[in-house]
Amino acid sequence: MNRREFIKASAGASLYPFLNSCEQQVRWEKAAFIKTKRSQVAILAAEQYGSSLRDTIRRGIQMFRLELNGKRVLLKPNLVEFDSKGAINTHPAVIEAAVGAFKTLGAREVIVAEGPGHRRDNEYLLTASGLYDVFKEHRIRYVDLNTDDVRLAKLKSSFTHFHQLYLPETLYNADLLVSMPKLKTHHWAGVTLSLKNMFGVVPGSVYGWPKNALHWAGIVGSILDINSSLPLPRFAIVDGIVGMEGNGPLQGQEKKSGVLIFGNDLVAVDATAARLMKIEPRKVKYLDLAGEFLGNIGYEQIEQIGENLHPYQQDFRVIDNFAYLKKLV
Amino acid sequence: MAGKRSNTEATALALLALRAVFGKAIEPAAEKAKTWLAERQNVDGSWPLNDSLKESSWTTALAIIALSPSPDFNERVIKAGNWALEQEGSKPGILANLILAVTFQKKAVQLNEDLIGWSWTPNTFSWVEPTSYFLLALKKIRRNLSSKTVEQRIQQGELMIYDRMCDNGGWNYGNSSVYGDRLWPFPDTTAVALIALQDHHERKENQVSLRALSEMAKNTDSGLALSWSAICLSLYGQEGAELRHRLVERFAKTKFLGETKAIALGILAMGNGAGFFRV
Repeated sequence: MNRREFIKASAGASLYPFLNSCEQQVRWEKAAFIKTKRSQVAILAAEQYGSSLRDTIRRGIQMFRLELNGKRVLLKPNLVEFDSKGAINTHPAVIEAAVGAFKTLGAREVIVAEGPGHRRDNEYLLTASGLYDVFKEHRIRYVDLNTDDVRLAKLKSSFTHFHQLYLPETLYNADLLVSMPKLKTHHWAGVTLSLKNMFGVVPGSVYGWPKNALHWAGIVGSILDINSSLPLPRFAIVDGIVGMEGNGPLQGQEKKSGVLIFGNDLVAVDATAARLMKIEPRKVKYLDLAGEFLGNIGYEQIEQIGENLHPYQQDFRVIDNFAYLKKLV
Repeated sequence: MAGKRSNTEATALALLALRAVFGKAIEPAAEKAKTWLAERQNVDGSWPLNDSLKESSWTTALAIIALSPSPDFNERVIKAGNWALEQEGSKPGILANLILAVTFQKKAVQLNEDLIGWSWTPNTFSWVEPTSYFLLALKKIRRNLSSKTVEQRIQQGELMIYDRMCDNGGWNYGNSSVYGDRLWPFPDTTAVALIALQDHHERKENQVSLRALSEMAKNTDSGLALSWSAICLSLYGQEGAELRHRLVERFAKTKFLGETKAIALGILAMGNGAGFFRV
């Protein structure tokens, strides 16, 4: 242990009693969360954003035998900012293919909804990203969750001071919420995947941009409180065809992984996605806590279906503050 | 937006747009908007976001701007102005800075945390857009406010905005870089900040940012960004015919996604609406 590590460890130890006393307040309604012993996660190969995506996504959804007949499905992509040289957002081809796949499988309506975290200019984001043309061509309804009508929801966990949050009405009118994040590292959360993607459902008009109230309340706690309290069943499809490493979620570098990841346990999906990036999920604070009550995180608790994980694992760089995430257990 | 509850931001901007079109003539929709705003004002002088929330919100600044030209609302506007003066963005606590220091973690952003503006929501950080709205609102009514803090808050808010400027001019939502990587300016945020700082139009930062906005506007395609850009350039005495032409084309294509806020700003940009933002 060098001097720098010693001071860091000493400081951490001296602050731990205080921090730990804060963490002791962490609670969730035990009756509301019954974890299954094992969760399935599917990894399907998808080399590029091509025409075969719809079939791949259909196969991925079918592996989970979701009941979709007559249901209204709400797709929640990651649409936060646009940079023509970057890989910030869920690719429009993945969203287009998911809409087609869910319709083919019997969904009554498929809506796309997002509350962009950085930009208030929806028209810019939709047109620059190419989504506007996709929505127009397929007559897909888009809802801006930042300005949607809201309803006050009581939280089922208390990792933040909120106790209740205003959530968009659109969530209450859907039967299934599909989190569709990009496979990315994140400079404040470590990784941003299907759980962190839910920051986008919290309305910016109430909580500010870039969802600032959530950052002040604590990113870890906010991720947990939001995901513990959403009022509808969830599914995840992670766009890992091209992800982002380094200073994500906006300014990192593209990283090709060539996969889509599916699952109905979002914690297990994110744990698998983290392992795919050679990041230890138990060291990602919010994933570790989510593993206690929201879903399964342990390697032995997750049944891998589709492709094997190991051939697709890539070393995603993280910023220095998160170097400790790279020590796999 | 059609089918949604009325909200303060859209109603305030729509009221200005109606006044730009109909002038001081009594127009039923404008009267309805004024009544809506009057009925929603909180006891403390602030406005909530919409009908379903009671909490005070950042939209108070826009309500002040919208109602300040109407003498009948003078008392309400002053009350709102006094409420605005009591609101301050927060800065990171001692504990947060201590943890960063002792764990050798890199600080994400480099900015002067002591400069306080206005936040989107209470007890959070100061950001460029709400600070710009409140600066503009206070500058419009500063002569009617008796509080001694008016000039001080305005000055500090201006310093905060200048502190957050991107390296080559213009503004992102609140920071100029994260972990050393430069952030890029947004046309709408830049235009709103420049409008708030219009009384310092000779300053180098304003001129650099105005050039940045002109460049951004060439590649800007949304109703919101084109409208704010046209309003801003008009206030700085620049010709905006080309932007207004593109605004019309854009509306024909996308109808600005049906967003009342963007449509109202488009009307303000097309007509003589920039004057409502002059201080």
